[in-house]
Amino acid sequence: MATLNSLVKTFLLWELLQGLRVTLRNFFAEKVTIQYPEEKTPQSPRFRGLHALRRYPNGEERCIACKLCEAVCPALAITIESDTGPDGLRRTTRYDIDLFKCIYCGFCEEACPVDAIVETRIHEYHMETPGQNILTKDMLLAIGDKYEAMIAADKAADAAYL
Amino acid sequence: MSNDIVKFEVDGKPVEGRQGQMIMEVTDAIGVYIPRFCYHEKLSIAANCRMCLVEVDNAPKPLVACATPIGEGMKVFTRSPKAAAAQKATMEFLLINHPLDCPICDQGGECELQDLAMGYGRDVSRYTEKKRIVKDKDLGPLISTDMTRCIHCTRCVRFGEEIAGIQELGTIGRAEDMKISTYIEKSIDHELSGNIIDLCPVGALNNKPYRYSARAWEMEQHPTVSPHDCVGSNLFAHVLRGTVKRIVPRNNEAINETWISDRDRYSYEGIYSSDRMQSPRVKEGGQWHEISWEDALEKLAQTLRESNGEKVGILASPSVTIEEAHLLARIADYLGTANIDHRLRRRDFSDQGEDAQFPWLGCDIADIENCDAVLIAGSNIRKEAPILAHRLRKAAVGGAKVGFANSEVYDYYFKVAEYLAGRGLVEQLSGIAVAAAQGKKLTSAVTDLCKGVKADKQQKRMAKMLKDATHGLVLLGNIAGRHKAFSAVRALAASIASTTGTRLGFLSEGANSAGAHLAGVLPHRRSGGKTRDEDGLHAGEMLDADLHAVLLFGLEPDLDLTATEDAVKKLAEQRFVVAFSPYTSDALDDAADLQLPIGTFAETAGTFVNCEGRWQSFAGVAKPVGQARPGWKVLRVLGNLLEIEGFEYLSAADVCDELQELLGEVTPDNAYRRKKALRKPNGEDAPASDVDIPIYEVDAIVRRATALQLTPEAQRLRSTDP
Amino acid sequence: MPEIQTFTMNFGPQHPAAHGVLRLVLEMDGEVIHSADPHVGLLHRATEKLAESKPYNQSIGYMDRLDYISMICNEHGYVLVIEKLLGITPPIRAQYIRVLFDEITRILNHLFWLGAHGLDIGAMTIFLYCFREREDLMDIYEAVSGTRMHATYYRPGGVYRDLPEAMPKYQASKWRSKKSVAKLNAIREGSLLDFIDAFTVKFPACVDQYENLLTDNRIWKQRTVNIGVVPPERALQLGFTGPMLRGSGVEWDLRKKQPYEVYDQLDFDIPVGTNGDCYDRYLVRVEEMRQSNKIVKQCVDWLRENPGPVMLEDRKIVAPTRVEMKDDMESLIHHFKLFTEGYCVPAGEAYAAIEHPKGEFGVYMISDGANKPYRVKIRAAGFAHLGAMSEMVTGHMLADVVAVIGTQDIVFGEIDR
Repeated sequence: MATLNSLVKTFLLWELLQGLRVTLRNFFAEKVTIQYPEEKTPQSPRFRGLHALRRYPNGEERCIACKLCEAVCPALAITIESDTGPDGLRRTTRYDIDLFKCIYCGFCEEACPVDAIVETRIHEYHMETPGQNILTKDMLLAIGDKYEAMIAADKAADAAYL
Repeated sequence: MSNDIVKFEVDGKPVEGRQGQMIMEVTDAIGVYIPRFCYHEKLSIAANCRMCLVEVDNAPKPLVACATPIGEGMKVFTRSPKAAAAQKATMEFLLINHPLDCPICDQGGECELQDLAMGYGRDVSRYTEKKRIVKDKDLGPLISTDMTRCIHCTRCVRFGEEIAGIQELGTIGRAEDMKISTYIEKSIDHELSGNIIDLCPVGALNNKPYRYSARAWEMEQHPTVSPHDCVGSNLFAHVLRGTVKRIVPRNNEAINETWISDRDRYSYEGIYSSDRMQSPRVKEGGQWHEISWEDALEKLAQTLRESNGEKVGILASPSVTIEEAHLLARIADYLGTANIDHRLRRRDFSDQGEDAQFPWLGCDIADIENCDAVLIAGSNIRKEAPILAHRLRKAAVGGAKVGFANSEVYDYYFKVAEYLAGRGLVEQLSGIAVAAAQGKKLTSAVTDLCKGVKADKQQKRMAKMLKDATHGLVLLGNIAGRHKAFSAVRALAASIASTTGTRLGFLSEGANSAGAHLAGVLPHRRSGGKTRDEDGLHAGEMLDADLHAVLLFGLEPDLDLTATEDAVKKLAEQRFVVAFSPYTSDALDDAADLQLPIGTFAETAGTFVNCEGRWQSFAGVAKPVGQARPGWKVLRVLGNLLEIEGFEYLSAADVCDELQELLGEVTPDNAYRRKKALRKPNGEDAPASDVDIPIYEVDAIVRRATALQLTPEAQRLRSTDP
Repeated sequence: MPEIQTFTMNFGPQHPAAHGVLRLVLEMDGEVIHSADPHVGLLHRATEKLAESKPYNQSIGYMDRLDYISMICNEHGYVLVIEKLLGITPPIRAQYIRVLFDEITRILNHLFWLGAHGLDIGAMTIFLYCFREREDLMDIYEAVSGTRMHATYYRPGGVYRDLPEAMPKYQASKWRSKKSVAKLNAIREGSLLDFIDAFTVKFPACVDQYENLLTDNRIWKQRTVNIGVVPPERALQLGFTGPMLRGSGVEWDLRKKQPYEVYDQLDFDIPVGTNGDCYDRYLVRVEEMRQSNKIVKQCVDWLRENPGPVMLEDRKIVAPTRVEMKDDMESLIHHFKLFTEGYCVPAGEAYAAIEHPKGEFGVYMISDGANKPYRVKIRAAGFAHLGAMSEMVTGHMLADVVAVIGTQDIVFGEIDR
C-alpha cells in the first residue's frame, strides 16, 4: 500500500507541489525585507561601530592618556603619544585609530577609566583614499562632539549591565 | 658578620644562612619572594612598611622578614594563611590613603604597589572615608613629585642619608600626618639624586623630563653604556618607536651597582636637541648648503686625496667609540699622518712619552671600597665621576682616610681626613713627596722639583696616612690632567705612590680615553702603545700648523678643544676643516667647511673602554635623528672611497674584533719610568679654577640636556659666569 | 587500446562553490573524479601564533574569526581551556547563557549551511528562507554583545554582560505606517529572553518549511542520496566529528558524552543517520536545529527564573565593574593591571573541547605561568573533514564534488586558522 501511495505521489509530483506551496505562500506574505537606507533595522545600544572620543559637559577632553586602550587593543590599532597638556594635566598629543586594523572588539571602551573612548553605533562610513582609514584625535573628538547625545543615551541605557 | 651557619626552614624546605642574616636576605637568595616596600638590599633596614610579615612558628604574631634575624631551627611560613592575612591587611592599610591616580601616574604598569596589590591585596576596598592629600614638593627640574601617593617606605630618606650622605631631617608627623620632610628637598642637589626615582616603589617620585610621555609596557629596553665619564656605568635605554624616552640603571656590581649619576640618567635629552644636524652640510661661498651623503663623502675623499697626507690633522673627542678611534687611526696611517690626537683638554704634552699605555684607575672600581687611604689630587671627583665618588664615600664611611689636594675646596658628604687647598698642585704634592720620602731617596725625576721644599704639618699627615695604609691609592683626576704642569704633577704623584707603597691611578676625560689610547689616536704612539718613528702634532699645536685638511670627530671646537686657545678662529683659518658631529653650532659653522652628522652613543654600536680597562660593547638603540649615521659607518665608507685595503667591515663588532686581535692581551700598567729630572714649573702652577669643567658641561650631549641645564648645579655656574 | 590519460583540473580557489578559498586539484577521467587534492592555507592568519604574543583575553576576538559562521562557539572552546587551566567555574547563570548562545549559534550555522548547500546544488529559494531566520539570530547576537557576528562575548569566568532587558525596536519611516512598525516591533516589546522565546515558538514551523522544500524533493535526493558515503568505521578512522560522524550512524556528541557547562541538565536528543551519505547528513543537521531549538527554549525558561551574576567575582582574573573601578583603589589597580598585563595562568597544559556545530572544536593550551599562552593549538573539525575529501569524491562525478564540499560544511577561517 505504502509503495502504491509513494508511486502515485511520485507521478503526481506531490513533493514538488509541496515545495511550490511554500513558495506561493511566501509570495503573498508580508515582506521581511526593509527599504534601506530610508528604513533601518533596529540597533542595540551596545552596538560597536565607529569610535569617538568624548568630552566632559564643560568641554574638557575626557582622555587622560593613560594608554590602557592602547595596551589592551589586540589588533594594535591604537597609537597614542602623550605629554603634559596645556592645562598641566596628562594629555594625548596624538591619538590615532587605524580602522583597517581595528577588529571592533570593544576592549578599548571596556578599558577606559574615564569613558573617553567609545564605540558608537555609527556603522555607515567609508574611505575613498588611502590614509582615510586613520582616525586622528581631532576626528575622533569631532565624532564625539557631533553624536554626544546619542552616545550618552546609549551608555546610560547599558550602564546597569557593566 | 659571623660565618656560623644557621639551619632553618622556609615553607617547609630546609635552608641555610649565616648567623645574623635577616629572613629576607636568605629568602631572596633562594628565590622565595616575600612582598616588600621599604626593604632594599643597598639600604639599611627600616622595617616600617610591614608588608613582609611572615609567620614564624612559636612567635605569637607575624614577624617582619626584613628585620627578623634567622635562628637555628626556625620555621618560617611566607604564604601560610596567617602570613597571607597579615600581608593582605597591611596592603589594605597602605591603599586607604592612596589616590586613584593609576591612569595618570607614570609609575602605572611598573608600580610595586600595583603589583603587590594584585598579588597580595584584597579584591575590593572597604574604605569609604575621605583620603588624605599631601602638598607636593618642588624637587627641581629632574624629579616630579606627587606626595599624596607616598606610602612612607622612607627609601628616599635612607638613600639621602646613606648613599648621598646628606644629614637632614627625614620624616615628620605620625600616622595619618606623617610626611617626608625637607630631607629630600636638600638632597636633590646631589649628583646621584635621580636614583630616588628608581627607589620609590610608588609614583610619588618620578622622572620629570619623562613625565607623561610613555608607558613602561610599550617601551623596549636596550642595554647601553654611559658616554659621559670614564666609569662606563651600565645603563638601560627605554626606547619608544625608535626614540629614547628615559635611561635607567643596569645592575653591575663591579661598576655602578644599582646607581647611576643624574648626568647619565638625563643626558638623553640632548640627543633630541634642536641643534641636531639633519643632513650633511657644505660651505660654499660662505653659505651653508645641505648636500647628500654621497656628495659630501666624495668631496671629503677628494680633498684628502689631493692633500699632502702628512698635512692632515685629526682631532677626536675622548668619547668616541673604540671602533671610530681605530678607523680614524687606520685612515691616518693610510694618509701617512701622525697628526692625530684625542687629548683635547690637556695643556702639558712635554712628557707624553711617559704616558701609560692607557690611563688606568690603578685598581678595579669595586676595589676602591677596600682602600684604607686615598689621596685624590687635582680632581673634583664628585663631578668628574660621581659613581667613583660614591665608592670613595663607601670606603670613607667604612673607615678609610680620604685626603684631597686641590686648588679649590669642593664639598664632600663624608669625613675628609685632610684637605690641601689654596695652593698650586705641584707645590702641594712636592711637600707630600718630601714628607713621604723621609729617610728615603727621592726618585730621580722629582729631585729638581722637590729641591728646597719643606713639608708642612698637613702634608706630613697626608704622607703618614698613605704610608700607614695597606691598600692605599693616589688618584690623579681630570683637573690634574689639564694642569699646565701635568708632567710635574704626575712625576710627584708617582713618587709619592712609590715611596709610600701605594698604587697610582688616573681618571681620564670622556668615556673612552682609554680606548682612544689603545687604538692609537695619539701623535706619538700607534695602536697598542707602539712608539711612532716621528711624533706628529698634538692637540695643543695642531691648529697652529699649516694643514691641508683637519678632521674634527665628535667635538665642539669652542668648548671641547681647550688645549688650544682661540680654536675656532684658528680652525677658520685652516684650508679645509671637516666636522663629524651630531650637532651643529655657530662655532662649527665658523670653523668648518663641511659638516657630517653622526650618531650619538644611542644611535651607534660601539665599545667603550673604561678606566679599569674593561671593554663594554653596546648596540645602537635609537633611530638616528635626521640623516645622521653611526660614526664608524661613515668612516668605513670614507675608507672605501679612499680605497684603503681591508676596510670591508660589516659591523662594529668586526672593527672591534680586529683591534682586539691587534692588541692582544693588554695589561694595565701605570708605572712611571722616567729617570731624567723634571724642571720646576715656572708660574704654571698657580691655582687655576678654569681647568675644572662643570659636571653638566663635559660634552656636547650633556650641554644640550635641557633638564640638567636647569638644575641648581648648572644654574649656579651660569649666575657666576662673567 | 589507446592510452587513456586523466587530466588535472583546478577547482577554486575562486570557484563560487569552493566555500571561500579552497583550491582542489582534481584528477579527472572525463567526468569522473580519480582523486582530489585539497590545497589549504590561503586564509592562514597565524591565529595560534598571534595568541602567543597577547595576554589571554586579547585573543578572544580572534577566535570569533576562526569559523566565522559559528562565532561564539569558537570563543567557547578557547575560554573553556583557560578556565580549565585556571581551575575556575563560571557562575551557573553564565553557563546557561553560554549554552543558550552555543545553541543559537548552532542554528545560525546550520541555517547558513542549509542555504549555501542548497544554493550549491541547485536549490535557490532555500537560501532566502534560511537567511530570514538568521536575521533574528543576528539581532540576538547584537542585542547581547553589540555586534552581529564577532561577539567577543565570552570571557574566562563567565560572559561579559547580562542579557538586556529591552530589545532595540524599528523606527517609523516614510515607508512604513505606525501600525506596521508596531507589528514589526510586537516581538521586540519585551526583554531579549522574550524575543528568543518568540523565536523558539516560531522556528519549528520554519524548519518544516525547509523540509517541505527539500526533504522529499526528488532533485535534492538525486543530488545527495548515496553521494559521499562514509561508513561508520571509516568515519571514525578519518577523525570525523559532529554531524559528519553522526550522519554515518555513530552516536557521538560531546554534549552527551563529555558534558560541559549545563548540558547534562538539559533534555535533548542526538540524531544519527544510517547510510552516511550527504542526504543523511542533511537530515541530521535539520534535526539538530530542532533539538537546538528545544535546548534554547529550556535555557530561556531557566534564565527567566534565575537571575544572578554572569561573571565570576574573582578580581585577580575578572576586571571589576565600572562603578567599582571608578571609586575604589583596589578595584582601580586590578582594572589597570588586568587591562595592561592581564592575568597569569598557572603553568600546565590542558585541552578543552566543545561540540561545535561542525564537530569537535578543541583548544590545546600550554601555559608557562606567564600572562600569555606559551602555545595554543586549535583543533578545527573542518580540517579533518577536508582531509577525507579525496576519499569521498573518488568515483563520483564532478558535480558531486560540490555536494561533498557542501555536506562537509567547511569554513576556511578555521581550517587555515
